[in-house]
Amino acid sequence: MTVLSTGTGALIAFQRALATVSHNVANVNTEGYSRQRVEFATRTPHDYGYGFVGNGVKIADIQRIADQLATSRLLDAGGELARLEQLSSLSGRVDQLFSDPATNIAGMWSKFFDSVTALSANAAGTAEREDLLSMGRSLATRFHQLDAQMQSLDGEVNNRLLSGADEINRLAAEIAQINRSLSNALNPSADLLDRRDQLISQLIGYTGGTSVLQDGGMANVFSAGGQALVVGVHASTVTTVADPYRPERLQLALQAQGSTVLMDQRALGGQMGGLLEFRATVLDPAQAELGRIAVALATTFNAGHQAGMDLHGDMGGPFFSLPAPRVSGNSANTSGASLSASVHDLAQLDGQDLILRFDGTGWSATRADTGAAVPLTGTGTAGDPLLVGGIALEVSTAPPPAAGDRFLLQPTAGAATGIELAISDPSRIAAASPVSASADVANIGSGVVAGLKVTDASNPGLLADVEIEFLDAGQYMVGTDGPFAYTPGDSISANGWMLTLDGLPAAGDIFRVGRTPPRSGDNGNALALSNLDDARALNGGTVSLNGAVGGLTTMVGSAARQAEYSADAQQVLYDQALADRESISGVNLDEEAADMLRLQQAYQAAARIISTADTMFQSILAAVR
Amino acid sequence: MSQRISTGLLYSQSLANMLQRQKVLTDLQTQLATGKKLVTAKDDPVAAGAAVGLDRALAELERFGKNANTVANRLNLQENLLAEAGDTLARANDLAIQANNGSLSADDRRSIAAELRSLREQLLSIANATDGSGRYLFAGSADDSAPFSKSGNSVTYNGDQTQRRVEIAPETFVLDAWPGSEIFMRVRTGDGTVQGLAAAGNTGTGLLTDYGRSSTGSWNGEGFTVVFTGADSYDIVDEALNVLDSGTWASGDDISYGGLRLRIEGEPAAGDSFGIGPAPTSDAFSTLDRLVAALEDDDPTLAGKAARQNALQAAMRDVARLAERMIDARAAGGAQLAMIDAAEAVREANDVTIKTTLSEMRDLDYAEAISRYQIETTALQTAQQVFARMQGMTLFDLI
Repeated sequence: MTVLSTGTGALIAFQRALATVSHNVANVNTEGYSRQRVEFATRTPHDYGYGFVGNGVKIADIQRIADQLATSRLLDAGGELARLEQLSSLSGRVDQLFSDPATNIAGMWSKFFDSVTALSANAAGTAEREDLLSMGRSLATRFHQLDAQMQSLDGEVNNRLLSGADEINRLAAEIAQINRSLSNALNPSADLLDRRDQLISQLIGYTGGTSVLQDGGMANVFSAGGQALVVGVHASTVTTVADPYRPERLQLALQAQGSTVLMDQRALGGQMGGLLEFRATVLDPAQAELGRIAVALATTFNAGHQAGMDLHGDMGGPFFSLPAPRVSGNSANTSGASLSASVHDLAQLDGQDLILRFDGTGWSATRADTGAAVPLTGTGTAGDPLLVGGIALEVSTAPPPAAGDRFLLQPTAGAATGIELAISDPSRIAAASPVSASADVANIGSGVVAGLKVTDASNPGLLADVEIEFLDAGQYMVGTDGPFAYTPGDSISANGWMLTLDGLPAAGDIFRVGRTPPRSGDNGNALALSNLDDARALNGGTVSLNGAVGGLTTMVGSAARQAEYSADAQQVLYDQALADRESISGVNLDEEAADMLRLQQAYQAAARIISTADTMFQSILAAVR
Repeated sequence: MSQRISTGLLYSQSLANMLQRQKVLTDLQTQLATGKKLVTAKDDPVAAGAAVGLDRALAELERFGKNANTVANRLNLQENLLAEAGDTLARANDLAIQANNGSLSADDRRSIAAELRSLREQLLSIANATDGSGRYLFAGSADDSAPFSKSGNSVTYNGDQTQRRVEIAPETFVLDAWPGSEIFMRVRTGDGTVQGLAAAGNTGTGLLTDYGRSSTGSWNGEGFTVVFTGADSYDIVDEALNVLDSGTWASGDDISYGGLRLRIEGEPAAGDSFGIGPAPTSDAFSTLDRLVAALEDDDPTLAGKAARQNALQAAMRDVARLAERMIDARAAGGAQLAMIDAAEAVREANDVTIKTTLSEMRDLDYAEAISRYQIETTALQTAQQVFARMQGMTLFDLI
């Protein structure tokens, strides 16, 4: 009964094909699903001597429509997209932090210096002094807040690395598992292959990299940077290890054959790469720059403040207090030696983290991020400290350092957290010049004091009382020194101050310079302080404090903008790769509907064959009845 | 791109398009609501960085304006007080002229002296005025306590001579109120350069009516004394009583020597002397004291009368110098006030420039933003309609 068997064979084949169509339709929304197609073939025909009579149809293959090239392009694009999106979204958050006047440094910064300028108009005013203290406190708090926000972003990076490592391990193990089950199968299941491709794309979304098919249908997965995550049936274990210098900070490492190998932090792609890149290129520099601004503010303002005199009649103390630059020993150091650091030259300070190495006789320094050598001078003793990047370092003598010891120097890392107001008594604000000048009441010349400027606040004789007596209009004595020649307009300097006179002094005229008395309403130092924000104190004396604050905003904004642009561009590439893959493997419902119609009709025709065969059979039965 | 499109991609692409449009619309909405083109620094990092500096400059200008007001208040106060002091001195001058009338009785003079005493007190209270916030206006930087204190009959100055400089526009400084020493204390007497005085013990009736630098000869800065050796002859002696010159004189003649001249009228007795030399400084209070002392001296003799007249003349000259000083100080204060006005114009100009620049950097072009908003809205609506239309376009609906 070839007709009947041909009919039933066709019926079964079309039923299977319809099942495949419905499988396709059912999976139209399944991510990573590759459509399947039934390949029909004729059954082996029967040779009757006069020729071959066909035996109907059979299913030759249920094909999974996929193109390895399109799939790997999608993997590449997906890994890179995940990296850039991660980088962009985190950079965007830092950008927002620095752009919003409610959280950024610029607004409070301006208010603080505003308050200093107000003090310069009414130097003894209690309200102005209280305002300056409260603005100073607010500014310090703003530094703390911003730094804390960035610390919490750092913590978030850590958490994401931790959960990312777990996810990588789960995905890698599952891929290895599928590899194992596929290695035994002669005819791999299409759905399992889809599942594996999907897992691989997720894994690469975390680490970047590629997947390579090997003999036996197994897929090996390598991270960007070339470290193996899955080889055949073996999955590597990714773990987090503490940074040797900064234990609170995590790095990714690969555990293989009992040893832990650090993953290349710079080459890694995917979400993890994005996290690490964000930390290294956006968060750390922003935090270092914020710290540098805090150091610059504190150092410059303190120096200015210490050159003035407060309402108690004492020389000003530090206005801000600041922790010393942070030096941490590598956890592998053997000696237990320590370094103590202090800011030596603000103009050279760039906030870059440095690695200091001791080779047994001398020290060398390299950049922590790029590894480039940085010039270093000095021997590390108290008299001859190590000088590097504007920082002076003194090496402990007990215990002394051992050869191979390494230290991480973070010149400005703790500054933004540690900056505090050093004074709380408004009368301690040193708004007055430490010395004041007066003309003797009996002077008959027209000379009056036009200006008195402190040129060297550290001069030990600064506050000493000095009498300047004019012998005649062209000569004067400073105390018992002199006579010195004088022409109108000349300045008179001694003991770290500089005096200028207006008018013409006459013979016998006496001017006195001496310590400013307590409760003076003089505003000389407040005036100097109010202009410090424009003082070019940074980058070798080329950048002002205001400039640095604006520069920080630009730096953070550019990083966020660049990341966003890259992510947008990568999104386009990814969309193209996805469209390519989908045009090959994706399910089109109209196509499936047409297929269904086609197969349905064929199925109905095959059913008709069976009913025809039945008719034929009934005819014979009727004939023999 | 191949001919085949997967249904899933069709949906996800349409969806992605709609989401993209919605994001643009939200951004535009934020911009329209805030009126700012720059929402965060990444929208234009360079402009955002520059805006930080400009914002600071703008805030500084505003603060300079407030500072200028503070100083202007003090300078106006100084102006008022000095005007009042000028009036006081003018009254003193009037009284001195009135007292110079020889027909006044001793009682009349005493009552004038009493009024002068009260003028002196008035001047002292002006000199110790505060600026309204408890700081003494004429004390320099030692403005925490009253700058002028009276001990016995003399007044001493306890302030200093710091004249505060206040920044009222970028790199523009204005000087605060004058220190009191320059206004009330260190005022030169006589004609401002030279002072001539009749000796206290003169027994004749010689009056020193005028003196000064003579039109001929240069003055070496040294003083000398004219000592009458007879009714019409005199010697000129220096401090050590060395006779430098001698001559004859008639009432009303000028005696000139070494670049200085004196005019003496009346009848000096032999031995009477008149000194002339560089004018020392005096303070306003002792000048008035001298006036009072001259008035209260009621020696009825002719010589006593002449001495009183000489003393009155000298004191009137000193009062005139004081009045001049008040005018000088007011002029200086006025110059500073003019500078404050000029600085205000500078500040306003800067303010406008900076605000314009800032506005270009980050303010929104509403016309452009609104038209973009409309275009994007239309695009989103179209995308939504197309999506809805596409939903119905499936073969399954037709079979």
